[in-house]
Amino acid sequence: MTDMRRRSRLRRGVWAWLLVALAWPNSASGQEMTGEELYRAGCASCHGEDGRGADREKVAFDVPLPDFADCSFASREPDLDWIAVSHQGGPVRGFDRTMPAFGEAFSQGQLQEIIAHIRDFCGDPRWPRGELNFPRPLLTEKAYPEDELLWEVGARTQSPGEVGNAIVYERRFGSKSQIELIVPFGFQDATPTHIAGPPADSTGGWVAGMGDIALAVKHVLLHSLGSGSILSAALEVKLPTGTTSNGFGAGTTRLEPFLAFGQSLPAEIFLQAQGGWEISTNTEKAPSEAFWRAAFGRTWTQGRWGRAWTPMVEVVGAAELEADGATDWSLVPQLQVTLNKRQHIMANIGVGLPVNRTEVRSPEVLFYVLWEWFDGGLFAGW
Amino acid sequence: MGNLDGSPSAASSSGARWAANLFFGALTVTLAAYCTLMVSGAVRAAGAGEIGSIHGTVSLGGTVEFSGAVPEPEPIDMAADEYCESAQEGKQVLDRPIEVDENGFLRDVVVHVKEGLQTGALAAPEQSELLDQKGCLYAPRSLAVRAGQTLVIRNSDETLHNVNVTAQANRGFNIGQPIKGIEAKRSFDEPELGIRVACDIHGWMHASISVFDHPYFDVTAPGGAFSIEGLPPGDYVVEAWHPVLGTTEASVQVPATGSAEIRLTFEGGSP
Repeated sequence: MTDMRRRSRLRRGVWAWLLVALAWPNSASGQEMTGEELYRAGCASCHGEDGRGADREKVAFDVPLPDFADCSFASREPDLDWIAVSHQGGPVRGFDRTMPAFGEAFSQGQLQEIIAHIRDFCGDPRWPRGELNFPRPLLTEKAYPEDELLWEVGARTQSPGEVGNAIVYERRFGSKSQIELIVPFGFQDATPTHIAGPPADSTGGWVAGMGDIALAVKHVLLHSLGSGSILSAALEVKLPTGTTSNGFGAGTTRLEPFLAFGQSLPAEIFLQAQGGWEISTNTEKAPSEAFWRAAFGRTWTQGRWGRAWTPMVEVVGAAELEADGATDWSLVPQLQVTLNKRQHIMANIGVGLPVNRTEVRSPEVLFYVLWEWFDGGLFAGW
Repeated sequence: MGNLDGSPSAASSSGARWAANLFFGALTVTLAAYCTLMVSGAVRAAGAGEIGSIHGTVSLGGTVEFSGAVPEPEPIDMAADEYCESAQEGKQVLDRPIEVDENGFLRDVVVHVKEGLQTGALAAPEQSELLDQKGCLYAPRSLAVRAGQTLVIRNSDETLHNVNVTAQANRGFNIGQPIKGIEAKRSFDEPELGIRVACDIHGWMHASISVFDHPYFDVTAPGGAFSIEGLPPGDYVVEAWHPVLGTTEASVQVPATGSAEIRLTFEGGSP
């Protein structure tokens, strides 16, 4: 009995040792270290004790070092991206290979501790964290402020043909704000029986034109990493710059105040919602309307660190603010995918499916290519 | 062997069978012993668990020298890393890109059989090779391994090293080793001369790894000597590679018995 107990204790001891070994699978040190200590051991030689980058004479390379104390840089990417680079090295996100891989030196928990310490270099809580930067749906505006350039396309699938485009430029300023410039242009089948816009002597065929250029400003009202929530308010002004003679633009100024909301949900699902009004300054030319949009989605990563695939479904509605105004509903299934390693170039394709008034509304193929230009050049990070 | 009934014919038949069994048994044992000896010789030559040749083996030895002017060694300034500086205990470490002894014999040269081998693919030995980082220097500075052989990369220092491996035929990598005693294991699949190893933090740390798909190679020790064991007799081209001086080669005939000697020389003035 005594021997059995001793053997049992021995077995327990072996198991306890194994558990400790598994908890520190790749570390040569059995001591538990804080995030700050781990940072000093693994990062400070190059990135500096203060996160601003070591003195150049102390390292043997000339690759520019990021400033972890710069909130604009340090706040905008989620922890997962930081862990990917520190675990796998710079090339996993298309950065320089001088950044080594620490996946064999530190466990994922230790890397998380290190990143938590790096986050402390920016002590300003006003900057919303990258975890709240949910993938951009085709139609619903994001609450998170961005530095982006987009090319959006919408093509009607039934006659008369129409292809609408927009170049969208977004730029952050301050910790929570963003300005936006939208330049629409398009092409449509101008056969006189199809649209009323073209001159009477038109011979038909496709015509091109500018749409109504819009300017917008957005500001984050609330954000919480703990609850996974972000709420923004925005105002967009659409100017009557459209080529109305060819059927483009509303021909009047419109104001579009709206709220945008993002929320992370269990099972890594996210919800984004937008609601507001489009107020026309000349309702004879363009009716005012209320609109609402919501997108649900989830991101799957190819492999552990690879391409991100995000299927989403949007529910979109708009109601003309007139006595006999129509209310339209659409569903927009779509798939966003990152195109390069840096994951700052991505595309999204979907279909706008009218739910009601299908006799006057046809399905549209919707598409965008997005470049988060803050994260690198168009040809960087592939 | 079990027939013991005592009849003459049976006894005669049994005796003849016994003698035949004894003869063939002895022959079998002799042949087995001969084959074992031959194979074990080849195993020693080629590494554990593999057969390089059964035609007999000799050793190929020699030296490598440099006939040009050796550049003056330059002191390495380790002041950027307090640990590295203190690890030298006051001694001045010199950077010697071409390291020769007083007779001009060159160390850290990879010597290998380049042409003439008749062997097919050979499995990698089970024992690993070690590349250590000690006192903020690589040990050894020039290393040769077999394709598929495990290379252990260790940090014996109490400072961060990164091991940036730049290869052409093989896959490079760059790993951080922040903790003393930490080890990483890697292997290279393809033969390649002079895979570059560098630490981006300590710019003076450079090493090279050469990979071969056969066991007939060596790295010259201080004094410039090398020895390649177990080479089957034949005509070969032997090449020497140095990270600064490049390559030089010579032909050699390895006899069926004895050993062969060769002297390889890197000609030239100042590199």
